[in-house]
Amino acid sequence: MKSFFNKHSYILPRRMLMVMFVIIIVIGVANSAFMATSNAENLELQQKKALDSVASVKAFADVYSVLMSPRCMNCHPAGDVPLQGDDSHPHAMSPKRGKDGHGIYAMKCGNCHQPENTPGLHMPPGNPKWALPPSNMKMVFEGKKPRELALQIMDYNRNGHLNKAQLIEHARDTLVKAAWNMGEGRKPPPLTYKEFVKAWDTWIEKGGYAPKQ
Amino acid sequence: MITLNINKKNYNIDVDPNTPLLWVLREHINLVGTKFGCGVAQCGACVVHLNGEAVRSCVTKVSRAVGQKVVTIEGLSENENHPLQKAWIENDVSQCGYCQAGQIMSAAVLLRENKNPTEQDIDNAMAGNICRCGTYLRIRDAILLAAEMQRKEKK
Amino acid sequence: MENIENKQSRRTFMKSSTVAGGGLFLSFTWLSGFVTAVPVGEAPSGDWYELTGYIKITPDNIIKLINPNPEFGQNVMTSLPMIVAEELDADWQKVVVEMGPHDNVKLGPQFTGGSNSMRMYWRPLREAGAAARQMLKEAAAQTWGVPVDEVTTKASMLLHEKSGRSGTYGQFSSKAATIPVPKGMKLKEVKSFNVVRNSKKNVEGEKIISGKPLFGLDYKYEGMLIAMIEHPPAFGMKLKDFDATETLKMPGIKDVFRQTLYEDGFEQGGFDTRSFNELLVVVGKTTWEVMNARKKLKVTWEPIGDTLKNTMGGRNGKTEITVPGELETTTKQLEKFKEYAAKPAQQLRRDGDPETAFKNAAQVIERTYNAPFLAHNCMEPMNFFAHVMDDKAIVAGPLQAPGWSEPTLAKLINLPADKIEIQMTRMGGGFGLRAYGHYIYEAALISKRIKAPVKLVYTREDDMTYGIYRPTYTTTYRAALDANKNLIALHVKGGGIPEHAIHANRFPAGTIDNYLAEGWRIPSNITTGAFRAPGSNFAAASEQMFLDELAEAMGKDPIDFRLELLKRAKENPVGRNNEYNADRYMSVLQLVKEKSGWNNSENKKYSRGVAAYFCHNSYVAHVVDMVMRDGQPYVERVTSAADCGIVINPDAAINMIEGAVVDGIGNAFYGGLTMVNGEVQQKNFHQYRMIRINEAPKKIDVHFVQNEIDPTGLGEPPFPPVFGSVASAMYKLTGKRFYNFPLIKEFNSLNKA
Repeated sequence: MKSFFNKHSYILPRRMLMVMFVIIIVIGVANSAFMATSNAENLELQQKKALDSVASVKAFADVYSVLMSPRCMNCHPAGDVPLQGDDSHPHAMSPKRGKDGHGIYAMKCGNCHQPENTPGLHMPPGNPKWALPPSNMKMVFEGKKPRELALQIMDYNRNGHLNKAQLIEHARDTLVKAAWNMGEGRKPPPLTYKEFVKAWDTWIEKGGYAPKQ
Repeated sequence: MITLNINKKNYNIDVDPNTPLLWVLREHINLVGTKFGCGVAQCGACVVHLNGEAVRSCVTKVSRAVGQKVVTIEGLSENENHPLQKAWIENDVSQCGYCQAGQIMSAAVLLRENKNPTEQDIDNAMAGNICRCGTYLRIRDAILLAAEMQRKEKK
Repeated sequence: MENIENKQSRRTFMKSSTVAGGGLFLSFTWLSGFVTAVPVGEAPSGDWYELTGYIKITPDNIIKLINPNPEFGQNVMTSLPMIVAEELDADWQKVVVEMGPHDNVKLGPQFTGGSNSMRMYWRPLREAGAAARQMLKEAAAQTWGVPVDEVTTKASMLLHEKSGRSGTYGQFSSKAATIPVPKGMKLKEVKSFNVVRNSKKNVEGEKIISGKPLFGLDYKYEGMLIAMIEHPPAFGMKLKDFDATETLKMPGIKDVFRQTLYEDGFEQGGFDTRSFNELLVVVGKTTWEVMNARKKLKVTWEPIGDTLKNTMGGRNGKTEITVPGELETTTKQLEKFKEYAAKPAQQLRRDGDPETAFKNAAQVIERTYNAPFLAHNCMEPMNFFAHVMDDKAIVAGPLQAPGWSEPTLAKLINLPADKIEIQMTRMGGGFGLRAYGHYIYEAALISKRIKAPVKLVYTREDDMTYGIYRPTYTTTYRAALDANKNLIALHVKGGGIPEHAIHANRFPAGTIDNYLAEGWRIPSNITTGAFRAPGSNFAAASEQMFLDELAEAMGKDPIDFRLELLKRAKENPVGRNNEYNADRYMSVLQLVKEKSGWNNSENKKYSRGVAAYFCHNSYVAHVVDMVMRDGQPYVERVTSAADCGIVINPDAAINMIEGAVVDGIGNAFYGGLTMVNGEVQQKNFHQYRMIRINEAPKKIDVHFVQNEIDPTGLGEPPFPPVFGSVASAMYKLTGKRFYNFPLIKEFNSLNKA
């Protein structure tokens, strides 16, 4: 398993893993998505207070409900074409991801998606950073089970190279916030932004655990 | 009053900065080659170049264009001699012709960024432009021909 | 069997005879103050000598050819003048083409629709060109003092070989214009054509690719205001009340008012169809300002209830129709289809004894096909300019049938027709919708009311939800087979809202001993009208899809099966009034079979479908080659064969067929308009799926049957057979038959299930 706390990751010795399971109250709900650091023992001590797999996994259920809502998932598609609408159909006119995630040729995201929402029903929503994840870091949400998505987000090599602090910070990103500024005719994510941030922070602070499934 | 640079000329216009660039071009500057098709960024008839990118002027506020370089179909070339314009004539692409300015403006960005596009590249680049008459096959061929002309011109 | 190839069907005859007046007139005036129809402004000024209404020549040999017919992408701006140039012996490279004004006396019927331009103008334009050439020859002969027969022409030049004299058409144009019109001129042999049958480029190509003002929306006029119409949110609703206080406070807004289109009892002509009669009009300075101000309107709407509609002219003379006020829903319409299909219907044709044949059948195959309303979705939304003054009016914009709109317009604005100038701009598509003049009348009434020049503009949403749609249809086919799988009877029964799509005398009528065709109609408040091959598009779809399934049931190749039926129609036809020529039908099927390599093993990798159809006087067959791509059916290649007689402008004709194929695939796969309580559910292209370049075939291979038959049109005929060929290929691809359009919707729902 990989850690998001720094760029190095390694597999934890089985015994240590077991110790951790004993220390943390585990009622058969979770595996931790991040387990240790290069400075494992110190951290382990710090985490003793904070880690709580039950609370973490519970929080992730909320996080997941938001991430898998069209407002987030539509730009984290399994393929290279974004999704669109509350039913997450493939984006009309099939714009392609492109290397940097900003589209290609005459079909760049910013050609239609302005720095702000265009007023009107079904008009292109906007944000200065509007884009898909880049082609070398696709960060797919579509089709991911809770466990898969949690592990992916906690994986430094699959989450856009974000460490813990950066992950926490990411929930404050303007593009993430844009999910709640969805423009006319679109459903917001199932939680408020405030609820989402709370769930996100809890999930990560309590250990970033992945649910069993 | 805002100042716009369109086809290398400056225009001072008294207009609500929220007005879409499309309507400023068509009704304030009298450049009507840029077309109104859907008004919701779905059809591509209104494509112009904003700093070289194929933006849809129907959803682009004129304020976004202030201080930037706008090029419309009327300014794509000096004498209607952009390789794409020549290829469009050579392949006699148009039927009703309404969408074609937008098609050419989209294709121009493709050709600038990819000197040797495949048919797949063309489809990827041009799927945002609807042609109701169905001249897509000729559009593909004209882009391939223009790419060839462009390569020969460079030699 | 009757050969109808060069006769007009009764319906088309009636339509064109109402506007044709006396047909073509050649006139000889010294008109130099000719009003330019569209701001083309390329022709040099100077004296124009008019040699027939279609030809004007300056002394310095500039030849201007007037295109009489509205241009909506079918390329008549190029192909009609080519016909004149051919007989005139004009140098095509040097002619100037101009869109003519509306003038039925000088320029003939001036109607774009029914794929009729070529048929209508082929002879008149040849005669005009030949007459003018003769007049020029006589002018030269008189000047030179030589016999007229010794004067020859070539590339806008007059020559007298014996004396070595020569001169340009221009030199003799003033004299020629004084010579009486020769009649009955010998026309050229088809084999000697050097303009017609040669590909000529679109004369407006350069203006299109450089963004010149060509279209109605580009039209400008000093002091012109912009108007938009707020229409009810649903069919079956009407304007009750409005509060425009906030709207009037918006910048640029001049006026907001209620406008009635037709007063009570107004007799509508056949092409005066309108969706809503009570209009809420917003007038302002610019389009954007009006669009914004509309959003501030506070409007209440109410159900309209049943209404009476008075019509005049047309097939039935004066009639009064009750239009039901129901707020219609697509799912309920489909239920109604089933209910009506079970009721007795109007018999349209009967051969033999179909009932007995069905009773004795060893096998009966019955299939029902459904198709939704379709919106035209011309790329240029509806618009029109009008400047109605006390004593005259100028209207300008995109329209297919100025001669049909003018009488109604004259009545509505209370001006004599000769005080109304109609200018025809290039149309950003038409597909039938622009034959209906309501938006011209709306613009004119608004101008009359506000006493100012005004351009009425529809947004895309207005255009899509305020339409005159292709009707929604259903058709059930039943075939009776005997124990040896011979086809012994065919029964077709169809209906629709508000009309059926049964063409009872078309193929395969005339090939089956026992045949019954029936039709029924459900009245509706949803406005419908001509849409690229009206009626035919769905008639072809259902018929060709059924023939494909029937061929399979009979163990026959689908092309061979059709050819067998056509052989019967040729040698021993059943009944009379069979509206097709079996030879020409067979020729396109044979050509498409050969050119598509129908039986070649290398094509086995494709799922192939074939269909052929005859309508609007031309014959077309397609073979489509389909593959599965990313889980969706994709038409990769198409082979087309057409017989439209002489092909005037071959490359442009190929373009038309390619376009019709793409349009056909798009509408077969994706096209469809649905309603909930009268409200159109598809309001713009994000909801109404249009075919895009990545869904267009890689190749469309077009072939023409070579003959010297007078030309017929291509705007419509290649469209209807696309549907059947696509559906049959989908069967080969998936192993499932599809019966409901749009096909991709059915495909995706079956996939999910």
